[in-house]
Amino acid sequence: MVGPMYDCLANPLGAIRLTFEKAVGSGCEPSAFDGKDWGALDVFREFLVDQGNLSQVPVLNSETLKWVQPNTLVRFRGMVQDMLGNEFYAGAYKDGSGWRTNKFGDDSQQPIDSSPDVRVWERRLLYCVPVPGLNTWAESEAASEATVTSMDLTSQQRDKRQRMDAESMDYEVCPGSNIVLEDSPSAKRMREDGHPSLSVQLSDLKPEGPCSSTMMRPEVGDSPSCLVKVYDTRESELKLNDIFEFVGVFTIESEPVPADDGDDIDLTTGFRNDLVHLQANKVPCLHCIVHRKLAVSDFLRSSPIIEQSKHVVMNTRESLLRHLTMLLGNDGVAANYMLLHLLSKIHARVDNVAVGKLSLNLTCLSKEALSVFGVQLCNALRNLLPFTDSIPLTVNYLNTACLGPKKDYQRNRLIGGTLQLAEGSHLTIDETQLETGTLNSVGIENARLLKDLVELQKVEYDFTYYKMEMAADVQLLVLSEGKSNILPADIVLPVRPSDVSRPEVVSAEALGAWRWYLATMRTLSHTIESEIQEVVEKDLVAARQADRRIGSKEFSSLLTMGRLMSLSFGETTLSLEHWEMVKELEKLRKERIN
Amino acid sequence: MASDSSPARFNNTPSSPDDSAFSSPIGDTISSPAAGTSRRNKRGRGRSAATPPNNHPRFAGSESTPTPLHHGGRPPTPSSTSEGAPSSEAGDDMDEAAPTFVWGTNISVQEVKSAIQMFLKNFRDAQSQGAEIYEDGKYMKAIHRVLEIEGEWLDVDAHDVFDYNPELYGKMVRYPLEVLAIFDIVLMDMVSQINPLFEKHVQVRIFNLKGSTTMRNLNPSDIEKMVSLKGMVIRCSAIIPEIREATFRCLVCGYFSDPIVVDRGRISEPTLCLKQECQAKNSMTLVHNRCRFADKQIVRLQETPDEIPEGGTPHTVSLLMHDKLVDAGKPGDRVEVTGIYRAMSVRLGPTQRTVKSLFKTYIDCLHIKKTDKSRMVAEDAMEIDSSTQKHDEDVEFDEAKIERLRELSKLPDIYDRLTRSLAPNIWELDDVKRGLLCQLFGGNALKLPSGASFRGDINILLVGDPGTSKSQLLQYIHKLSPRGIYTSGRGSSAVGLTAYVSRDPETKETVLESGALVLSDRGICCIDEFDKMSENARSMLHEVMEQQTVSIAKAGIIATLNARTSVLACANPIGSRYNPRLSVIDNIHLPPTLLSRFDLIYLILDKADEQTDKHLARHIVSLHFEDPELAQQDVLDIATLTAYLSYARNHINPQLSDEAAEELTRGYVEMRRRGNFPGSSKKVITATPRQIESLIRISEALARIRFSETVEKHDVTEAFRLLEVAMQQSATDHATGTIDMDLITTGVSASERMRRENLVISTRNIIMEKLQLGGPSMRLLEILEELKKQSSAFEVHLHDLRNAIATLQTEGVVAVHGDNVKRV
Repeated sequence: MVGPMYDCLANPLGAIRLTFEKAVGSGCEPSAFDGKDWGALDVFREFLVDQGNLSQVPVLNSETLKWVQPNTLVRFRGMVQDMLGNEFYAGAYKDGSGWRTNKFGDDSQQPIDSSPDVRVWERRLLYCVPVPGLNTWAESEAASEATVTSMDLTSQQRDKRQRMDAESMDYEVCPGSNIVLEDSPSAKRMREDGHPSLSVQLSDLKPEGPCSSTMMRPEVGDSPSCLVKVYDTRESELKLNDIFEFVGVFTIESEPVPADDGDDIDLTTGFRNDLVHLQANKVPCLHCIVHRKLAVSDFLRSSPIIEQSKHVVMNTRESLLRHLTMLLGNDGVAANYMLLHLLSKIHARVDNVAVGKLSLNLTCLSKEALSVFGVQLCNALRNLLPFTDSIPLTVNYLNTACLGPKKDYQRNRLIGGTLQLAEGSHLTIDETQLETGTLNSVGIENARLLKDLVELQKVEYDFTYYKMEMAADVQLLVLSEGKSNILPADIVLPVRPSDVSRPEVVSAEALGAWRWYLATMRTLSHTIESEIQEVVEKDLVAARQADRRIGSKEFSSLLTMGRLMSLSFGETTLSLEHWEMVKELEKLRKERIN
Repeated sequence: MASDSSPARFNNTPSSPDDSAFSSPIGDTISSPAAGTSRRNKRGRGRSAATPPNNHPRFAGSESTPTPLHHGGRPPTPSSTSEGAPSSEAGDDMDEAAPTFVWGTNISVQEVKSAIQMFLKNFRDAQSQGAEIYEDGKYMKAIHRVLEIEGEWLDVDAHDVFDYNPELYGKMVRYPLEVLAIFDIVLMDMVSQINPLFEKHVQVRIFNLKGSTTMRNLNPSDIEKMVSLKGMVIRCSAIIPEIREATFRCLVCGYFSDPIVVDRGRISEPTLCLKQECQAKNSMTLVHNRCRFADKQIVRLQETPDEIPEGGTPHTVSLLMHDKLVDAGKPGDRVEVTGIYRAMSVRLGPTQRTVKSLFKTYIDCLHIKKTDKSRMVAEDAMEIDSSTQKHDEDVEFDEAKIERLRELSKLPDIYDRLTRSLAPNIWELDDVKRGLLCQLFGGNALKLPSGASFRGDINILLVGDPGTSKSQLLQYIHKLSPRGIYTSGRGSSAVGLTAYVSRDPETKETVLESGALVLSDRGICCIDEFDKMSENARSMLHEVMEQQTVSIAKAGIIATLNARTSVLACANPIGSRYNPRLSVIDNIHLPPTLLSRFDLIYLILDKADEQTDKHLARHIVSLHFEDPELAQQDVLDIATLTAYLSYARNHINPQLSDEAAEELTRGYVEMRRRGNFPGSSKKVITATPRQIESLIRISEALARIRFSETVEKHDVTEAFRLLEVAMQQSATDHATGTIDMDLITTGVSASERMRRENLVISTRNIIMEKLQLGGPSMRLLEILEELKKQSSAFEVHLHDLRNAIATLQTEGVVAVHGDNVKRV
């Protein structure tokens, strides 16, 4: 197959149909393609991967939405927020004498008769939203400096703009000219200054509060969400809350009615007035041809360090630790814990135990102290991790917020709560603002959800008639004055800031290196040698003999720390040295608590 | 399957005049919604091809069907209209006409007809087969009964069809529309043979298919097939009146038209009056109360949690209910539905005939069964005696699964294996786990004819040091148990646990709301932080734990609710940590009345044992560094464990064997005697009748674990061991080291009681010696001094002395004023 034969970008459906006709023409029965591909995917794979044309495919966001033509190839990066079930469609039908296909498309121009010459195929509907808490830099490194240095309103607005751009990820496509603006500084400038109207357009967005509530969540139903129709995939391949990049044919579809099929079997007297609903919401729809799961590292611009040498890792670790120390008011112990915390990742689940989590509770933070470096901390985290979010824990918030996802049967949709987060998200919970007050039933439920998330790394989804627990993998940082009783974190650490310094200006290179470091190190696998294992066991037993209060939970945290400590050095086996470091850290922490 | 409309055509009647009269679902959709409703039921469709008038009764209320059925005398077969072949002469040998095939299928109408006739006439239950060969078949009896009660449908068990004629079953599942249409015709033939005057239309309702699918697995190849699904009703639409026959009246002359039948979802309104004399144009108007309507309802069914794979959200499917099925399920009900999976295309707009390439899918419901209550909506005598009635679990077992479970149960180490599988990430505590296993399996509840009942549920209390993973065990059990409620003592009030009466804000009526214990009827109620529960709330448990009921008498409601629940409670000792110096009662600090109701009381003590610490450390290290899947081999996964459990709970009802009963008596006597070892004068009650009940329950549970119908001797031995392990820990008298049931029942151990008695006696002696009647008083401390002088053997505390004096005071020997004791 020769590339130019098909115009995959502008007329993907043409390419699909051509391949189909070719396949049918070569003597295959259409029924042979039930749930199978006839070679169309190969054409696209070749176009996108082998020829490296992926970057030419426009990314779907609120900007591009305005000019992207229906039935062209687009990309969308997002999290699977809801699954709307399967949809049956007339996949192939006989038009006159020849067979035609409807796959990857929506419309059939002519009425399909109830002729026997129709093959009914099915596809899955996924409702995808932009990754919750996606940070600006995940798209553009240029923004990072601005956010670190200035906190004024204008930059926040710019933030927002960049957030919106965030959906365009690595590159942006200008209307008309399919020129990809890559790293060149001029391109960045163009981007920053090139759309003066943008901030105006977006100024009607939800106002953002101070640090703790800065992270605007994309509202479900906001424009950048997308209905993705997936073909011929196994169910286990796509899971709720996974992040994917979909490449496919773009169409505009009314609000996912198909999931409501049957409701309007009897139109006027059915469950609801569909007509009103239909007009109100036009959802962009993508007929997915190719998809791939994205990991955190996919959100990095490009690996600044190709070679993962020990030397580079050590240097990066050192500089990152320095940065964290400075952020935490020169508290080295806290910085060490913070580093481990940022590297934590759940690597196994045994029954109710999520192995690998390391939630951190920084205590001794008054409201005043937090206003000084809490903001810094928040910003720094946002700059380091691709997905961050924060929750201001106030009585009012608990009583009103919708934390857990809930199924809305009226709309037949899952309403994503704040806690519906992608794997590897970071969540900061600011408890310093909590004052005495009364929780209502919503508040109690929310507090319980948070506690479950901290303890079990699970979120309960409310389906009204029953609840379902979904596994989560969220790094949790709790900021509080005293030890938080609502949120029992693994590590409770009083912070001892000694000196409050103004935030330093961090170079883009350093940031890039840290992001790469955090994203890469946490994915390393890890083992333990039998000699070390014995040492560890002995230490644990000794610790328990000394202090009966130490139980399995403490053991777990210790081991997690050991693992993370060696990962932070880029090591894949636990060494005695690192184990000693962990014990030393714990000793320092214990001293602070007592 | 996409050939949606075709099946009802018959290949030898391609140009059947009836073609116009039949409504395909797609045709229906094309009709405008405004035109009113319209998608006719599929089964109606199949019939309407041939016998338009007959399809009404199927879905119309009987009262409103005065008619058409025996206008035609006997319903013609689908093929008869154009063929003219009187193939409806049921039972006759097939005439020479070529076999009629349903279009596009290999179904021969005649063949199927005769097969169905044979089935209805001759099918007999397996048990009734043989002996009474002259008796009517199962379905003949059923038909007679339907006629007697003037029913409108006949329930047909698909299993019976399969047993009788697998081929027919296969055809029925693959081409339900056609076969059911023929089924109906045959049935009506038979009905009119039995009772020619029977007016109602009787339909066939198929249920209990051999295989049931899940919503997730429905795919295009299932379209137009008969499927059976389980799920939960989440929404019901309002009842939709669907027009079946319309009558028009001329506004000019008042002439009523003949009823006009819905055709493809449309009613062709006459444009001019049919009365010869009138012939006014556009004068016809619809007369609503002369039209016939049928009930229709759209119900949405959602997957139940157990069918949802990890990382998925529940799927939903729409059901279409007609007539009697309307309102058969309410939101929240778990149902099993048998129906035909259908797809119809979607129009672009209400007025356009163009359709989208999409299909909407739904299930045309034939039969609905509520699975949680095992109650058939169609109350049918045959089902009442079917065994499904007895089970209250919704887990159904197919034979392969049962076989697997049985195989498991034959393993020699099944008891240990199950123990290992229970909360595998919790280290040690094997005996506690064994106890919990017994609780999960449960004993047999027994109800004597006299009305006395003995509970089969085992109650367990775990008392232990903090950090001994009690709560984790509780959480685990809660997850595992078929129906259970998890509450925390601090968060539970008495009414929250039992039941409370509240006033409905709208109707102002008092309503009874069930609490945790009532809700976990036939399950396990897990109560964490039992010690932190209010006194009041705990006292509510007395009735629940022995009588297994909750009685309410307040606000005009007097009720006794069932609460056949096992209680699994866990508590911390009074001072957070177990104080070995105090007695168990003092440590647990729970009223003895409540304690005696627990079959097993486990003391989980955190002993500073290096060996166990080492185990724990190794366990956690392996959790972190090894593949946890590898770390725990030969452990049953939760799904198997639950299946095993619910099968055992439902199907195994072990009885005590003579040997076991003997062992039980022997052991019990032994236990009671144990206190009286030679040389000891003190009387220690080692066991109470409550204990023997507990023992029976535990040994029954142990037999159940092995899927054994009889309780063997070794079950009893193990039960004794379990009780002893629990009791030795919980009822050890710290003064003597023997098991002492009094400790549990009265809170004071026998040796302790003896010591107190001695003290009272010596105190009395001192008072008698030192004090004169009416003389000067004596200070308590002085008496204490005296006592210490007299009995150097054991230490006397002021506290003990006060108790002794209080005893004497009640005897009327002394009077106490502050610290002064006076003899009276």
